[in-house]
Amino acid sequence: MNLLPFLLSVGRTLSRNRIRAILMMAGVTIGIASLTILASIGESTRRETMKRFKNMLGTFDTVIIRPGAGKNRGMVTLANVDPTLRFEDASAMAQMPDVRQVAQIQDALDIDVKYRDRVETPAIFGVSSNWPELRGDEVVDGAFFSEDDNRSLARVAVLGAESRTRLFPGENPIGKTIRIGDVPFVVRGVMAARGAGPAGGSLDNLIFTPVTTASKRLFNRDFLTMMIVQLKDPNDSDAAVRRIEALLRERHHINGSALDDFNVTNPRAVMAQVTSLGSTLQKLLRVVAILATAIGGVVIMSVTLIAVSERKREIGVRRAVGASRLAVLLQFLLEAVLLAFAGGFAGAGIGIGGTQIVANWQHLPFLIQERAVALSLLLSIVIGLVFGIYPAWKAANTNPVDALRG
Amino acid sequence: MIRVQNLSKTYSRGGEPVVALREVSCEIASGEFVVIRGASGSGKSTLLNILGCLDTPTSGAYLLDGTDVASKSDSELSRIRSQKIGFVFQSFNLLPRTTARENVELPMIYAGGAPSRARATAALERVGLGHRVHHFATELSGGEQQRVAIARALINNPAVLLADEPTGNLDESAGATVMSLLQELNNEGHTIVLVTHDPAVAARAQRTLAIRDGVLSETEVAK
Repeated sequence: MNLLPFLLSVGRTLSRNRIRAILMMAGVTIGIASLTILASIGESTRRETMKRFKNMLGTFDTVIIRPGAGKNRGMVTLANVDPTLRFEDASAMAQMPDVRQVAQIQDALDIDVKYRDRVETPAIFGVSSNWPELRGDEVVDGAFFSEDDNRSLARVAVLGAESRTRLFPGENPIGKTIRIGDVPFVVRGVMAARGAGPAGGSLDNLIFTPVTTASKRLFNRDFLTMMIVQLKDPNDSDAAVRRIEALLRERHHINGSALDDFNVTNPRAVMAQVTSLGSTLQKLLRVVAILATAIGGVVIMSVTLIAVSERKREIGVRRAVGASRLAVLLQFLLEAVLLAFAGGFAGAGIGIGGTQIVANWQHLPFLIQERAVALSLLLSIVIGLVFGIYPAWKAANTNPVDALRG
Repeated sequence: MIRVQNLSKTYSRGGEPVVALREVSCEIASGEFVVIRGASGSGKSTLLNILGCLDTPTSGAYLLDGTDVASKSDSELSRIRSQKIGFVFQSFNLLPRTTARENVELPMIYAGGAPSRARATAALERVGLGHRVHHFATELSGGEQQRVAIARALINNPAVLLADEPTGNLDESAGATVMSLLQELNNEGHTIVLVTHDPAVAARAQRTLAIRDGVLSETEVAK
């Protein structure tokens, strides 16, 4: 039997029963559409989450150390920070074989920054000159300050993207003097925008100064609010974190079961937790969508079963004009597969459209998981085969003599 | 052409064996127009279905064109039906939601080739329906539907045309048109076996067989 004209005649049978065909397809369409949306949105959510965490945590070969035992997370003010992390801790840590380099940070909120008649309160970050490298930050205008600036307590500042637009709308800030607190600083550069953090807040409304300048001229304190430690081997971060903790405990004279007076955040570990939570949820949703698609298959099966008895006479006629059992089996099986595939195809289309809508609505990047779409289409074919085979087998084994009698 | 010997068919209906054919023997030569007469329930449709390879006998031999078809598999019987047999039914049995030409193309699909539109159209023209090629079955009169069915039965050039009460659902004039078409086809050399209970239809045949309670007997040659 020549398959192409046969396929065409199967397609024709379906197209002449359009309403029934569309109703039969609907279940598979809905299932595949939700699968496509879930896979694509799931992936873009994962990437967006990663990006936001990366925005906050910097490069993934670093760990972040803050003072205090688990408290004082997030932004700190001048008043509430434990004075336990010292500049000397940072220098000692930089000597560790695990460590490539250490960035020292003193930051504070609630300080007025003035330029002419504008007053803003961005976060002030006193940082060492290796900050851009450790955070993966880029300077878009001018330059970051150097280690010499840091040593000489230079009053130079680099603006975050948002504080630049707030303080210098439509104006070139490079070389201009701003007042942080009451101390004048010359703007040396502007950073690229980092975007949103995990909670959605901006990470760009800040101003950088050299950390020693901040310590001596702005905040008048000699402890750090944060250290960023770059590891030589990020794959060994758990062991390195343990050694860093041991060093700090020793330097801070913490013995036995006494609690740390600092805490260490390992971005890799945080990321792993967040993504595994996300992927568990995603797997669950995917199972639900596959179930929905399978229910679509059950619809195809039951309607095809009804069609087999409705079309008994047709089966008899086909047999009389030369159709073998196999040809009748293929007729009904292909109808089911074509329906399921058409349903899956429509579902993939709707899913891609739906992904675009959800992405716009949730401000996620629009991306389509081609592999998931291809797998969905394959799934729809498998559903057609699995749920079509029994009705098709029944049709093939209809006795043609009985079928023709009516 | 057709040779059956001691053909019997027993059904089981509700656990009871029903004998539809008893030791039927006959020969039909190529080019004949044979009518099998019998009342309903006489076994005439069973005989026709066996001759058409839709059904298999319980015992006995059936030689079609010299090959024994009693022991063939389903796919072999399907091929024989496709190549050597054309069916015409009382209730026309055109496929619903399918045009006249698509109905005529159907046997070509099962015969394995690509369906030829030109041949299907020519077959429809041959039965006088050149103007109905794209009509659906529901848009055709009973007589027209039966002529489409005849075109469909002839499309693969079968050795024999089997007609089961082909005029049973038709009014007199449509029935007459169909009968004269069958007569013409016979004159062109087609072998025709027609089953009927209608004596008027039977009167047109060269040769009439009678069947009664599953027993076949030769009756007087009509002409």
